[in-house]
Amino acid sequence: MTALLINLAVAILLAALLLGFYRLARGPTAADRILAFDAVVLCAVALTALLSRQWQTDVYVELILIVSSLGFFSTVAFVFFLQRAMPYGGEDAEEIEKGEGRGK
Amino acid sequence: MSNLIEYISAGVMLLGAFVVLVAMIGMVRLPDLFCRSHALGKGLTLGLLILLFGLWLDPATNISGLKIIAAIFFQFVTLPVASHLLARLAYEKNLPRHTLRRTPQ
Repeated sequence: MTALLINLAVAILLAALLLGFYRLARGPTAADRILAFDAVVLCAVALTALLSRQWQTDVYVELILIVSSLGFFSTVAFVFFLQRAMPYGGEDAEEIEKGEGRGK
Repeated sequence: MSNLIEYISAGVMLLGAFVVLVAMIGMVRLPDLFCRSHALGKGLTLGLLILLFGLWLDPATNISGLKIIAAIFFQFVTLPVASHLLARLAYEKNLPRHTLRRTPQ
């Protein structure tokens, strides 16, 4: 009975992971992709917790801590990089300016 | 008794997985980055907290209870910070924003 509940939860989380991959592929700006990547990492963390419950071990709790902190620090690093590199108005702004010949 | 606790733990983890699914549906359906960071910062945080609480209830992992509480605390601190950083980036860079569509009169 508990195995059935856990398998159902794994199926739900796999559906959530696929939705996250959809947004990761689709997202219009780079910031959307970073957000979707963070969400995908957290879905993987939730799947790790379910595996730890399924196999009745507690060695995966460190894995939960490490993977979630990796996701958080990669998000922070990307945001600090994009604060310099991203043009004002998103990536499309430069292309529109170039295309219409409107220099600064 | 421990059987009952196992059922409760599995049920709570199923509830957490459902909340995570709702947050990811929000991640797909919501229109712009501000709304999506809202889905990450509230929905996914709540789902992960419920799921890790269900793991904490499980009697087989009782030994690592403090580590699970540390993981819960870490999620609770870092996830809203990440979503706030992304929303702030979107505000500073003036990313495209969702506006309500007005019906022509």
